[in-house]
Amino acid sequence: MTTNGMEQAGSKGLWGLEEKLSSLLEPVTPGPEFVDALRLKLTQSPSVILETGKKKVIWMVAAAGMVTGALLVWLLHRKRDND
Amino acid sequence: MQKLKVFNNAQGTDVDTVKLAVSGDAEAFSYLYEQNVTRIYNYIFYRIGSGADAEDLTARVFHRAFGHIEKYQEKGVPFTAWLYRIAHNLTANWYRDTRRRKEVSLEDHTDLPHQSELPERELEKTQEKEVLLNAIRRLPPDRQQLILLKYLEDLSNGEIAVIMGKTEGAIKSLYHRSLIALREQVMEISGTGELNEIKD
Repeated sequence: MTTNGMEQAGSKGLWGLEEKLSSLLEPVTPGPEFVDALRLKLTQSPSVILETGKKKVIWMVAAAGMVTGALLVWLLHRKRDND
Repeated sequence: MQKLKVFNNAQGTDVDTVKLAVSGDAEAFSYLYEQNVTRIYNYIFYRIGSGADAEDLTARVFHRAFGHIEKYQEKGVPFTAWLYRIAHNLTANWYRDTRRRKEVSLEDHTDLPHQSELPERELEKTQEKEVLLNAIRRLPPDRQQLILLKYLEDLSNGEIAVIMGKTEGAIKSLYHRSLIALREQVMEISGTGELNEIKD
């Protein structure tokens, strides 16, 4: 039992739940290949931020869609005027 | 396995090391990384239940932290606490983006043997663990965070308060409410509310 485990909740650590949490929640270890590979990436390019790329792509796709849509509307109008 | 210890560095060491890391010192980066990678992975793994996703999110936490390390300012918040806050936010984003708050079996984790290979007692323990983890993952994010920090990291209420940006009194109160809510979730999942006794 942890030192901070049974400090409150009078009835046997809330029906023994604290004891179960202490005994069942054990730390897990990440794979050494993952740890080594991430260390390498971080120390070689510490300023790289992965998630910004996804946002940029979304903005670019949205912008391209709007430009294409506007162009299409303009072309349809022009064609109708010519007819 | 021994419980992890957090905050074993003096805050001054944190600040000095972070300063070195900001100036591009690779050894300082490595030191901060080594000190924190396992605990951040653990926290995320228990929050989401998948080893592969936990690796992905752990990588994002460190990329974000080291990419914005110049924004870290020591104001009574140790570097580790800052990492936990990033991990908590990214985990919340992960749930929001993937919309798959499904219950994930512990068997997904490669460290655990398949249930059919386990002796009866171990099988019972694994099943208990599965019920408990599913119950934890049904709690609101702040309650999950509190319980994992307390039992995985063996942190005091004061240390958890620093990480979560609350007072120690608020943490005590939230902890008690979290245990009651957890008990209710266990009852709902197991049908009886009883986790069997583990005989060691």
